[in-house]
Amino acid sequence: MLEVNISGLKLNSPLILASGILGVSYSTMLRLINIGIGAITTKSIGPKPRKGFKNPSIIELYPGTFLNSVGLGNPGIDNFISEIKEIKSHKIPLIVSVFGDSNETYLDVALKAQNAGADAIEINISCPHAEISSIGIDKDLTFKITKLLKKKLSVPLFVKLNPNVTNLSEIALAAENGGADGVVAINTLTAIKIDINTKRPILSHGSGGLSGKAIHPIAVKKVYDLYKVLNIPIIGCGGIDSWEDVIELFLAGASAVQIGTALYNGLEIIQEINNGLRNYLNKNNLNSLNDIKGLAHQFKTQEVPEFD
Amino acid sequence: MTENTIKTMKIKDITNECKGVKTIFFNMIEGNHGGYIIPKAGQFVMVWVPGVDEVPMSLSSYDDKGNWAITVKDVGECTNAIHNLKIGDFIGIRGPLGNNFILPNDSSKKLILIGGGIGMAPLKCLSLEIMKKNLEFTIIEGAKFSEEIMFINDFQSFDHEYSEVIYSTDDGSYGLKGFASETFESLVKNYSKSEIPNLIAYTCGPEKMIFKVFQICEKYSIKLQASLERIMRCGCGLCGLCAVDPLGLLVCKDGPVFDSKNLRQMGDFGKYKRDFSGKKIPLD
Repeated sequence: MLEVNISGLKLNSPLILASGILGVSYSTMLRLINIGIGAITTKSIGPKPRKGFKNPSIIELYPGTFLNSVGLGNPGIDNFISEIKEIKSHKIPLIVSVFGDSNETYLDVALKAQNAGADAIEINISCPHAEISSIGIDKDLTFKITKLLKKKLSVPLFVKLNPNVTNLSEIALAAENGGADGVVAINTLTAIKIDINTKRPILSHGSGGLSGKAIHPIAVKKVYDLYKVLNIPIIGCGGIDSWEDVIELFLAGASAVQIGTALYNGLEIIQEINNGLRNYLNKNNLNSLNDIKGLAHQFKTQEVPEFD
Repeated sequence: MTENTIKTMKIKDITNECKGVKTIFFNMIEGNHGGYIIPKAGQFVMVWVPGVDEVPMSLSSYDDKGNWAITVKDVGECTNAIHNLKIGDFIGIRGPLGNNFILPNDSSKKLILIGGGIGMAPLKCLSLEIMKKNLEFTIIEGAKFSEEIMFINDFQSFDHEYSEVIYSTDDGSYGLKGFASETFESLVKNYSKSEIPNLIAYTCGPEKMIFKVFQICEKYSIKLQASLERIMRCGCGLCGLCAVDPLGLLVCKDGPVFDSKNLRQMGDFGKYKRDFSGKKIPLD
């Protein structure tokens, strides 16, 4: 009853592991699948091994709200291929998040991931604390890279959007026009934490990306806005830590969701959310989450009045 | 404030334990602005040296007034920076993190703590908890040579009716000659067959030493709790760098203390860890 189909990617639950969380070892992914997650998105994988930023790189600011600047630390695609094969040998639905330092390296990493068995590719053009964020803030660059990858890839291609822009809709449309099979909204929001005793930013990189509880209403707003202009599916992401948050994102227009930060409380939250979603559907005599997609848009909201 | 929030506070005291090892004392209640959590032996903290790095460290002691301590060996950039800190300097602390050693309620149990080098830190913390419960215990402290033996004064203050401390150095320059694991096996052999089921072992140290202790425990069917170490960023189950295959357990959240049942199924145990990029590499 929780099955979703996003551009041909069929999942048993709308919950997808968000990139950057626990997406390193097949064994942790297997635990997530066994507890009911629909698919895994790996940590963003690049062309070469990368240590990323030093610690502190992940800290909690308020209960359930985190700030991170990992800086795309990853083992590199060539080391990661064996991990992808291991993951696929356990039949885990797998989305590989990729990044590069040019359109060509993005393509190279994506093709290697696809050939190793990835079921879909997500491109990270939006990490707010690394140089690649420049693609995600420009509609022409977003269009070009999406088009290039879409032409060469046979698996679905998702574009993860950078919310740190003035007009997210025009960038999402550029991804759609480039042939993206879906967008993921949203990545983390740029933020900083300064320690009042030492008077310095805490993260080694200074600023980072805000995730978790505090960004959920922003994610809902972005999905709500994107649903008005896009034809391709939207994967909602940002601060989900309950089944109610998932329902809210579907009402705003999401076709699936990603969950990440909330896992710090334990992986059991996946099971709790799935159970909550089933109960909600049963109580409301619904067969599928698809039945509530975008329902918030049926209501007219008050327009800004003219000044007298 | 939660356990994953960085609290900065001034260092209260610093003591020299032995060559290259210092203990740093700080007060968590002062730094916490509410939300103070009482730690347990085996738990760790993420220690931030402003401008340098943040690393996981087991607690070596805590008291009921919020005074916690970490015991640090100077082995790298961050630990070197910790050694250069002075009383009154700020450090940042997140914690207590992870799980803890579990003590029996049954006073017929005999506890054996086997530590190697700086791995003695969480075991010292555990020994303080054991003293409060009046359980019978033996500490085996292993070190390379006499200059690396630590906590002698702390252990001398213990009530010897319940406790025994055996020192064991690789070169025999202090206490018995040999590895801590060898000393452990000799000790086990001294117990009668009927006594062995009452033994519980606790260990921390270089993972290859822990692995040997584990093998000895398996041979004699002794229950073991071992504290492992891995590279980590978050310390709270998000980054995935400390995942151990094939169970997918996270050292930061499901550990750092693992029992025999988990250790038996842990293929990476004694063999592999992950580096900062997430790549699996052989243990040193």
